[in-house]
Amino acid sequence: MAEAIQPAIAEEVLNALDSYKQKDPTNKIIVRFKGVGNAPIMKQNMYKISAQNRFQAVIQFLRKELGWPAGDPLFLYINSTFSPAPDDTVLNLYKSFATESFLIVNYSTTPAWG
Amino acid sequence: MSNYNRPSQSTLRAEKDRNADYNTSLFRRMSWEGTVPLEIRVDPKELPANSDRGLECYFIQAPRISYLPLLVPEIKRFLMDVVFDETAAKSLKDEDWWFESEEGTLLKWHWSIGLLYDNHTISTSLRSPNPPSTSMSVPMRLILHLAAPPNDKLFLSSTIEACKQAFMNQLKEADFVRWGNTRRMVGLRKVDQDGLWEGIKDHNFDDFWRVASKLTPIASGTPSSRPTSPPPGSALSRPGTSDPTTQSDRDSAYSMRNVPIRMYLPDGPVLQELAPPILEDGMPNTLRDFISKHLQLLFPDRPPPPPPSRLNPNPQAPPPLEHAYILIQGVVCPPEAELGWLGACLVGADGWLNICVGITR
Repeated sequence: MAEAIQPAIAEEVLNALDSYKQKDPTNKIIVRFKGVGNAPIMKQNMYKISAQNRFQAVIQFLRKELGWPAGDPLFLYINSTFSPAPDDTVLNLYKSFATESFLIVNYSTTPAWG
Repeated sequence: MSNYNRPSQSTLRAEKDRNADYNTSLFRRMSWEGTVPLEIRVDPKELPANSDRGLECYFIQAPRISYLPLLVPEIKRFLMDVVFDETAAKSLKDEDWWFESEEGTLLKWHWSIGLLYDNHTISTSLRSPNPPSTSMSVPMRLILHLAAPPNDKLFLSSTIEACKQAFMNQLKEADFVRWGNTRRMVGLRKVDQDGLWEGIKDHNFDDFWRVASKLTPIASGTPSSRPTSPPPGSALSRPGTSDPTTQSDRDSAYSMRNVPIRMYLPDGPVLQELAPPILEDGMPNTLRDFISKHLQLLFPDRPPPPPPSRLNPNPQAPPPLEHAYILIQGVVCPPEAELGWLGACLVGADGWLNICVGITR
């Protein structure tokens, strides 16, 4: 049986798609952590985090900095309003929700803006 | 008769509002009623002992606005009744179940089924030459695994409660994108907030939109229309109004700060950019404006017309290069569509307008 010949995708299109996948490791975002309620305070609360990281990485980073036990709940919010999806990137969040030149991340041991 | 004289301003105004209402609710209803065909097959390597092989495939026409965790109980009932051996099934744990596409893409619990389907369509566009068909959909093949979920890549647990929390947070995030605060969302009573999710679970349009219409603007109130707007009376026409006093007490899509938009490319990534419904020149921001600004390599600007000559005194611009197409709610969208209109009428239940970009051959 003859197979239908598939028109090829133009190389420029494949290059375009590749370029949108490129991650720039030098692009860093300043994230400012703010504890809420009785959450432990951080001595240093501003960190440069790679823009391509997912928010999940921010959650893990904060837990490590605080030495927060794996099973204990910790709630993270942007601009004291919502919890982003963990698979969203820091870059996407920064573009939409930056305050001045930071991304403000609030953290709490109990649901704060449930 | 004098009654048939020119209608008064207030009559015109009321009519425009009625048209905007009609358009808004018509397209919301069509989005809500949209379904996609799924073919769900248990990974044959993971079928429990003594399963009835040959029947381990389940077909469902699933609502676009629903989520995989909401389908699991139905799929489980089928498998328990027909496929699994009762004794062997006792060792199965719901929380170990997870889905991937036939091509091996993990299917996230917190993406709506319509988004999973559209994202699959555009990723397939890289590998298959067939353009998306609006009349006949091909089932998306899902593989159901019964063990060893890759939780770090699925990000959220498979419970309905986790899905609800993710959904509510998406609504809040969308509220913040629209207005710069979440007052509309947090202003809802608890029972109304819960009612949004109940509306999704029960697939009840009226219950859901009774609350969601307090959050989502309607498609009225554009300051001006482009000449490329559909003619009045066509199904796509969007009545405009230049008089700010015609604003009703409801929010207009064109007064949002930004339309909550995410762009999905084949095999990733997901991009989020600010999308004001009105451009600086006062014109409505169209899909073409937005996409050619942020995805210029895939949607290059239309080349200018050649200079007029004696043989061709009125040269037309060459057609734009069509590398890619845009899929919203499973529909290929015309580039003239306005972001404000889309953000009111074709928005997902979670408040986000998902723009999926497929590749044309």
